[in-house]
Amino acid sequence: MPNLASMSFFIPELILSAVALILFIFALVSDKAGKKGEYASVIAIAGLLASAVFVLKNFNIGSPPLFWGLLVLDKPAAFFKEIFIITALIVIIFSQRSNELRAGANDSAEYYSLLVGSVLGMNLLASANNLLMIYLALEFVSLMSFILVGFARGSSRSSEAALKYVLYGAVASGVFLYGASLYYGLTGTLDIKSFLTISPSPHLTISLAGLFILAGFLYKIAAVPMHAWCPDAYEGAPTPITAFLSVAPKAAGFAVLMRVFSAAGDGFNWPLIIAVISAATMTFGNLAAIPQTNVKRLLAYSSIAHAGYLLMGVASGTPRGAEAVYFYFAAYLVMNLGAFLVVQIIANTSPPLMGGDIGEGGRESLAAYKGLGRRGASGAILGITMTIFLLSLTGIPPFVGFIGKFYIFAAVMDAKLYWLAFIGIANSVVSLYYYMRIVKTIFFDEPADAVQPAFSSRRLAAILGVLSFATIFIGLYWQWLSNIVAAVIA
Amino acid sequence: MKGYFPLFLLLQTGMTGVFVALDFFLFYFFWEVMLLPMYFLIGIWGGPRREYAAIKFFLYTLVGSVMMLLVMIAFYFYSEGNTFNILTLMDQSVHIGPMTAHNFRLLCWLGLMIAFAIKVPVFPFHTWLPDAHVEAPTAISVILAGILLKMGTYGMIRFCYPIFPDITFEFAKWIAVFGMINIVYGALCAMAQKDFKRLIAYSSISHMGFCLLGMASFTNEGMNGAVLQMFNHGTITAQLFLIVGIIYDRVHHRDLEGFGGLAHIMPRYAVWTAIAFFAALGLPGLSGFISEALVFLGAFKMWPWYTAVSVSGVVLTAAYVLWTYQRVFLGKINEKYKNLPEISWRETVTLAPLALIVVILGVYPKAMLDIMNATLVGINQLFVK
Amino acid sequence: MQLEYYLIIGLILFLLGLYTCLTRVNAIGMLMGIELMLNAAGLNFVAFSHFNGNHIDGHIMAIFIIVLAAAEAVVALAVLLAIYKRFKVIDTDKVVTLKE
Repeated sequence: MPNLASMSFFIPELILSAVALILFIFALVSDKAGKKGEYASVIAIAGLLASAVFVLKNFNIGSPPLFWGLLVLDKPAAFFKEIFIITALIVIIFSQRSNELRAGANDSAEYYSLLVGSVLGMNLLASANNLLMIYLALEFVSLMSFILVGFARGSSRSSEAALKYVLYGAVASGVFLYGASLYYGLTGTLDIKSFLTISPSPHLTISLAGLFILAGFLYKIAAVPMHAWCPDAYEGAPTPITAFLSVAPKAAGFAVLMRVFSAAGDGFNWPLIIAVISAATMTFGNLAAIPQTNVKRLLAYSSIAHAGYLLMGVASGTPRGAEAVYFYFAAYLVMNLGAFLVVQIIANTSPPLMGGDIGEGGRESLAAYKGLGRRGASGAILGITMTIFLLSLTGIPPFVGFIGKFYIFAAVMDAKLYWLAFIGIANSVVSLYYYMRIVKTIFFDEPADAVQPAFSSRRLAAILGVLSFATIFIGLYWQWLSNIVAAVIA
Repeated sequence: MKGYFPLFLLLQTGMTGVFVALDFFLFYFFWEVMLLPMYFLIGIWGGPRREYAAIKFFLYTLVGSVMMLLVMIAFYFYSEGNTFNILTLMDQSVHIGPMTAHNFRLLCWLGLMIAFAIKVPVFPFHTWLPDAHVEAPTAISVILAGILLKMGTYGMIRFCYPIFPDITFEFAKWIAVFGMINIVYGALCAMAQKDFKRLIAYSSISHMGFCLLGMASFTNEGMNGAVLQMFNHGTITAQLFLIVGIIYDRVHHRDLEGFGGLAHIMPRYAVWTAIAFFAALGLPGLSGFISEALVFLGAFKMWPWYTAVSVSGVVLTAAYVLWTYQRVFLGKINEKYKNLPEISWRETVTLAPLALIVVILGVYPKAMLDIMNATLVGINQLFVK
Repeated sequence: MQLEYYLIIGLILFLLGLYTCLTRVNAIGMLMGIELMLNAAGLNFVAFSHFNGNHIDGHIMAIFIIVLAAAEAVVALAVLLAIYKRFKVIDTDKVVTLKE
């Protein structure tokens, strides 16, 4: 489809670009000290909502290739776009009441601008159909995330996290590009569809190109062996950004991974390679999470493990597998954001539940959760909701995580990857241990003092309620969500 | 205490659900739902090592249930019409694809069997049980012994038997062997215990062995005996745990050597204990005897040698039960406990109905057997070649 | 000139870049390594497109690589400045407050 005709299908992205730019200008011209961030966040929310509406409007139009095939507007792309937007909306609400970000309240308009920009990049990544577009979108998302991770300028660990993230990211994109160049040389095109046109015999160079390209995507989803940045970046970033990174860019990575490696056909046995990576990723994530004492870092490792579970769905290489991945992302969004929200509320409580600064032994450490369930009503609520999210992450009914895992395992069994299913269930059991360690600390340990955590704001309490309700509700009544997912596949 | 009763009711929900579910997915759902409240009940209201016991219980059971999850999914894909309906799955003709191949069936059977065996618990998987029992509060121990353990044997009869009759028949020998090990090993371990509650936990393992042995016999007597034993174990062991709870409330320890002569101090308590103890060792006239006798009667036809060894378990049971009674209730009065209050009416009310059932079923087992006979004969029909 | 020469130079550049990234602890050094890798890919793209009848895609890609490499360097250097202000070093092995 030529450029001008494509524009009418490009409205969601246009809105996002406009909003990002408006926010930048707003940051420059506005002099409403103190209220600036609040206004900016409202503009961002409005823009994201408008964009979401137009994405939905374009849901059922087939899959037209836009801009001469650089982008394709199919249903999975639309689904992922909604995931990004919903995540961003929830994270914006987190950010409005985050102490870490309030330190730099003067540039909060830029913060929201970057967030919207990052959603724009992910939207492009989800529908990119050409290596050039993929590269541009990948870099766009990465650049935004680098800045967001380092956004808490008063904090040295935020800068350190950003440094590690940038260096790993740049190396990953270099590797990806080199793979892309080999691919271009072999096929004479940047269109990813032509993976199919190369002879199916596993040719060394094309396999190498494929592996290098894969490495770029694995970096985005924090899968082994490209995971090393993840714990540091997640721990150092402001908590709302950690929550954002753990869901949205990961989803974007999966969107493009599934697009490229489903178009790749089965000439090179990608499913097997992805299955091995999946097994390694979840095993590493779960084992490394066990000794962690910082809850944020623990959740970072758990998110690596979840990337592994999700890769199981990709590895099955069937529509059922794709369906499972989509479903799991919806589930993962709810429960993971919820867990990070509790971390944020606990860390922001003042006076702190644990004395000291933020790092070791501080307010994000497991010690701050000691006896949380016995610290009055607010403590009990936080404890119970955290338990709900963690059990859901483990995959215990009646929570949504179980249904997600059920679909994933069903897809893997359907693809006859029994060994992978065994590794998957073994990992589920391991993950129970470290999630339960948090639950144990919350309910079984005695609190060190009588300080009660306080909900710093009503809107965080409300969003916490919504997320935990969704975790239970979808866990009991998931048919509508699986209908949506089935519609995405159809 | 605020959280205790909601959790207790949730536990009840899960257990009821497990026993009424006729859909595999629903069964699994309730099976897992039940884990959560149990974990918290042991972990929050338990004894000194409660955290360890709670997580051990959770991990062990989860290992089993994730295997069940895989088998469940396999059933979905390899049954005609992709069903989770247990009644449909009993019909062997709906099994398709790999589910008709022997080795795959064996794998599935094993997955289910291990999941249930952990719950029973069968010998190599039993170590969570003493810990959980010792640390759990009395009421939870009663539920654990009385109902939770039966979920394992119930599962075997509900799933492994009718859905995989061929594999079950092929490996019946091993069920019998593990039943035998449970009986003898449980009894021997019980004998060595110094902690009252731990002793009963091991006796519980021993008694569940009878269920396995009876189930492995494929005779009407054996099956009836096994299921009756499940019920009787529920009433008898529940009493035993209540009895331990009563004395623990008063003296705050469970060391068997630390009592002595309680029969003189608390005579009524001693009588209630005697009823439960004699029922546990299989005294004729009490319900434990009927089920054990039926199990041996049935099992001897099929597995004479294993049964013969298992009978020694009865002797061992008598030994540790009587020895325990002697240590706690007879002998020299421990001066420290001279003024212990007698059993209260509230405690009597919890024990009396259970004791009544034990006596009634001891003289009139038909009341139970009539209810279950038809079903069990039906299941046995599957194995009549 | 044959295609192979370009590819070999590209490969050498790429490997040098990767080697630099993996062995250097100085963040500026790593950035230089990254530039090498990006330029290796860029060289490959141009070479391939030249020997493929001046196919336009490769040239465009190369231009974008140059642009994005600059953008990436800007962000990376900004982060490095922040790091330097705080830690007074830019060696990645010394900038450690997050535990391994």
